[in-house]
Amino acid sequence: MPDLIAISMVVNGRPYALSIAPRETLADVLRDRLALTGLKVSCNAQVCGACTVLVDGLPVSGCTFLAVDADGRRVRTVEGLAIDGELSPLQQAFIDHAAFQCGFCTPGMLMTATALLEEHPNPSRAEVVHGLEGNLCRCTGYASIVDAVLAAAALAGGSAGSDAATEAGR
Amino acid sequence: MRRIITRPEVPSPIGEPVPRRDGIAKVTGTARFTVDVALPGLAHARILRSPYPHARIRSVDVEAARRHPGVIAVVSAEDLADVHLVYGHAVADHPLIAVDKVRFVGEPVVGVVAEDAVTAEEALRLISVQYEPLPFVQSVAEALAADAPVVHERPGEQRPHRGFEEDIERGHPNVCSSSRQAWGDVDGAFAGADLVVEGEYRYPMCYAFAMEPYTSVATWSNGELTVWTSGQHPYMVRDDLATCFGLSLSRIQVIVPYVGGGYGSKSYTKIEPLTAALALRAGRPVRLALSVEEAILTTRGDAATVRLRSAFDRDGHILGRQATILLDTGGYAENSPLVGRKAANRLGGPYRIPALEVTCDVVYTNTAPASSFRGFGAPQVTLAGESQLDEAAARLGLDPLELRRRNVLAFRERPWARARGIDADLDADLTLAAEEIGWNEPTQPGHGKAIALSASDAGSEPITTSILRVLSDGSVTVMCGSTEIGQGSSTVLAQIAAAEMGVELERVRLIQSDTAAVSYDRSTGASRTTTLMGLAIQAAAADARAQLVEWATTALAPDGPDVVAKAGGVEIGDAFHDWGAIVRAWFGGAAGEVIARGYVRRAGATEEMPPFWEIGCVAVEVSVDEATGEIFVERLVTVGDVGCAINPQTAEAQDVGAAMMGLGMATREELVYQDGNLMNGNLFDYRVPRTTNLPEFRTVLVERGDGVGVYGAKGGGEGALNPVAAAIANAVERAAGIRLREAPFTPERVWRALRERDERLAAERDEARRAGAAAADADRRGIDG
Amino acid sequence: MIPRFSLARPRSLAEAFEAFAGAGGEGAYIAGGTELLQVMKMGFAQFETLIDVKGLDELRGIDTSEGAIRIGATTTHRTIERSADILAAFPGLVDLERHVANVRVRSTGTLGGNLAFAEPHSDPATLLLASDARVELEGPAGARALRLSEFILGPLATAREPEEILTGVRIPAARRGEGRAYGKIAFFERPAASVAVRLTVADGAVTEATVAVGSLTEVPLIVKPAGDALVGTEVDPEPLANAIASASAAFGALDAVEDLNGSSDYKRHLAGVLLASTCRAAVREATARA
Repeated sequence: MPDLIAISMVVNGRPYALSIAPRETLADVLRDRLALTGLKVSCNAQVCGACTVLVDGLPVSGCTFLAVDADGRRVRTVEGLAIDGELSPLQQAFIDHAAFQCGFCTPGMLMTATALLEEHPNPSRAEVVHGLEGNLCRCTGYASIVDAVLAAAALAGGSAGSDAATEAGR
Repeated sequence: MRRIITRPEVPSPIGEPVPRRDGIAKVTGTARFTVDVALPGLAHARILRSPYPHARIRSVDVEAARRHPGVIAVVSAEDLADVHLVYGHAVADHPLIAVDKVRFVGEPVVGVVAEDAVTAEEALRLISVQYEPLPFVQSVAEALAADAPVVHERPGEQRPHRGFEEDIERGHPNVCSSSRQAWGDVDGAFAGADLVVEGEYRYPMCYAFAMEPYTSVATWSNGELTVWTSGQHPYMVRDDLATCFGLSLSRIQVIVPYVGGGYGSKSYTKIEPLTAALALRAGRPVRLALSVEEAILTTRGDAATVRLRSAFDRDGHILGRQATILLDTGGYAENSPLVGRKAANRLGGPYRIPALEVTCDVVYTNTAPASSFRGFGAPQVTLAGESQLDEAAARLGLDPLELRRRNVLAFRERPWARARGIDADLDADLTLAAEEIGWNEPTQPGHGKAIALSASDAGSEPITTSILRVLSDGSVTVMCGSTEIGQGSSTVLAQIAAAEMGVELERVRLIQSDTAAVSYDRSTGASRTTTLMGLAIQAAAADARAQLVEWATTALAPDGPDVVAKAGGVEIGDAFHDWGAIVRAWFGGAAGEVIARGYVRRAGATEEMPPFWEIGCVAVEVSVDEATGEIFVERLVTVGDVGCAINPQTAEAQDVGAAMMGLGMATREELVYQDGNLMNGNLFDYRVPRTTNLPEFRTVLVERGDGVGVYGAKGGGEGALNPVAAAIANAVERAAGIRLREAPFTPERVWRALRERDERLAAERDEARRAGAAAADADRRGIDG
Repeated sequence: MIPRFSLARPRSLAEAFEAFAGAGGEGAYIAGGTELLQVMKMGFAQFETLIDVKGLDELRGIDTSEGAIRIGATTTHRTIERSADILAAFPGLVDLERHVANVRVRSTGTLGGNLAFAEPHSDPATLLLASDARVELEGPAGARALRLSEFILGPLATAREPEEILTGVRIPAARRGEGRAYGKIAFFERPAASVAVRLTVADGAVTEATVAVGSLTEVPLIVKPAGDALVGTEVDPEPLANAIASASAAFGALDAVEDLNGSSDYKRHLAGVLLASTCRAAVREATARA
């Protein structure tokens, strides 16, 4: 039987010390050991993005990222977006624009969009579309999601990019 | 979004885009789905599946698997002698686990329950099954051949939930069911026609791809069964569980948490009986969570071949339609008998058709089972019908919009005898679609526009109840069997209750989809929930108000003055008493509650069928990349004719999502079988739309109060999908001069059609040159004498 | 799901080789794991021991100091995508990396892992093949370098001995007047067709050209007649277009794999469409480096 490996990681600002099997993915550990069940496993093949979490600010597929590789790193999940119960501007924008329906893709979508806005605080519509290209949603048809991300960017200061298509899309 | 409102005013919060009640849970990741259900002692199941499309099972050896450390139970049909294995709400032909043979690659054969999923997975490899492969049929054509291998030797018993009264007819042994719709003199219509358009149209096998794959958790206690499941119809599942396990309905509880996408693919029973059987043998609660690859092999959408002829007079009036439809339902009937019937019903579309004859055969093949899927026959037949209208328009020299105007049914006109008259102003909807797409504005070179319509007899059956409770503080609890599958029912139904009782939305709690806690609702599908559950809630609220008025009289004004019901309470003389005060007064303490109920059945406003017509009205503008054959949908217009949009934001959201799904099916989505194997049953090779496929959307909601639901509401959620493939086909014809009849319109199919067009045009030019040269010769000869 | 395995995390190449030997033929090296873990999940590969090479210094880093570009095997797609040094030295590679798979795969997937796995549709393999790159291998018996054309043997098959580790990729510096470009068309997750072009322009004409196709044949392939057809052509639009048309004709002889993307004919056609845009992109860069 393979040995367990000790890892330390910070998840949503909280430190954890865990003893895990090498085969456990970050999704397994977050969901089953830390009760952070927000992230969902859908395709389990790194295609759909439902399991997206951030490791040191980078979006990764929780379903295929070995938890051992999170040793010494900072992990953020959807549960870490709201601070003291206050939703992030992006979360609020998702509610305001009904950028979700069944909600299964939503945690992963939010994490990808969070990373996108942290890197591009003022994205154009085209940048948002490209940035979210790897996250599938089967319910919304994406229109409201793109609008929500642009709205969140606008709230955080500055216009929502110079792309004229921003207006045309609504 | 554009809203056209001509219905009467409605009380708040009806018609308001209130934020969805499940919003905070979903954006914070706290929303609970079936896979998030945690139970003490939960064990995990994995399934060994058939590698053959058609085979007899000769033997199953599970001894090594049973001994694998951590394995709790290994279960095949042999271990379930005390279970009635075969279920099926329409045709009981589906064993919860394979019995003597398998009928498609992927059919469950053995289940393993273990302490964790990876142990269960390891145990699968220790199981040995001996199969005797049988000849198989992979297509409808093969299945209907004279000596075709027979998928079901004995037809399954037809069952009461099939959704129609008539007996299921069969012909060829591989025909699961046949439907027919006919009226008028079809032969006469075609004989007298000025134009006949004929063609064969194909619609692919599709996968709904609900992002949450099928997941169920089952546990037994004191001979009673509790199942959590990602399903749309908990009461239908309960019925099948009762049949399988010989239990009364009262001893089964089916609970549906949030569902991660349904789209019809989670209608009726799926893996619940299997999960319950595994839990029974394991003596532990069991979770069965399918992968996406397994989910694709569990339920797909019916593929269709539609052969259609349409007869027209020279002014473009439809004189008749004649069609044969073949649906491929795969290894089991599931809900396809009803899909077949609806396909036949929906072939006429929203048009006045004096003579019609449609037959639809649902055919078994050795492929994954097909069942309900958004659109339910309408996308398939609408591709054929709407394509032929545009073909006719071109040949008659008519504007396709004008041709449709000449044929759409008038408001309240019956599509066929005894059917509810159309409860929509179709001509006005056409006008809106035309405005939004800029029909009369010049179209860029290389672009094309089209408008397409559909009409679906929607709403399924009106068998729905609701319980409404008014508590001692005046707050309200509503109990509904409807499920929240993403469509927003948990918000919309609360809005209705709030309006009907005149209490603030924040004081209304909705309890949903727990068969032990709420009362019966047939199903969440066929776009019926707003309309039918809305009516049930309205009835329950009326019952509550009636009781409260009586209580107020008894407790507060037994000798007068009159008690007058108002929003949120009653007026007695000058005094206002809220509902809570009345409850407390009647019970004589600080406690108590009102229990009120509403029933909806085939009576009164919902006697006539269908309960409502779901209209699909879309317009598109496309361009075609002549080099690669890729179709780009530049703009997409949806007109949602919903009678009253209880929540316009959720209604619009449904239209956008449905249209994008239609776009996927029209341009890319197709399950491909080869040698009995599904070649692309995964997300690498089955492409669903991405953000990069998003066209510029224009959405319109039309509210004329013309539906039978509360405040004139009708349903939505499927309409915007149904005409999309046809609209794209017609727009591509205008953009590039090619007629596509096989969806999806993949780049290669388009590219080949473009090359054929070029060859045809070149041949025509050559012909014209030759004719011109010959004429010149003849002239010269004439001149020379 | 991922089956059970033991994990070694060596801190030196010697430790890595030792761990591999200790696994008795049931071991495999793992970097980002995006391909390897996926095939393990799907049951197409079983390994009792995985040896994580991400801790090895020799596999890290991007070095353009000596003209040639050396990229350590564990460099992620994302790191290459954002590397200012690579942008200056090989912008075509940066553009390619920007479109590999999706943002999550780019965060964790590595260039070395991609080449070692030899997935037939690999974007980097196709461009690097045309760019005359070499892979560096190191094993207990020593180090060696192989041209990519000698390294890739077939779908998922390379010349790497099981105990060897792919430590890095070395790409010749772009010379004066040289341009390298890559283009692909994808209808599904993996490309339907891709083309890489490397050419040199001097005095307004192409003096050297290499054309590779990817996702068409069993492995990425240099199509010599296509490159030859471009040599000598002037880079003005019309003569260039004619040369591209001749070069595309060479694709007619390719044995293109039929799959869900389309028939052989159609895929060869797509390659021809891509050749046009990719050639022009290469010419633009070549002209800028004149």
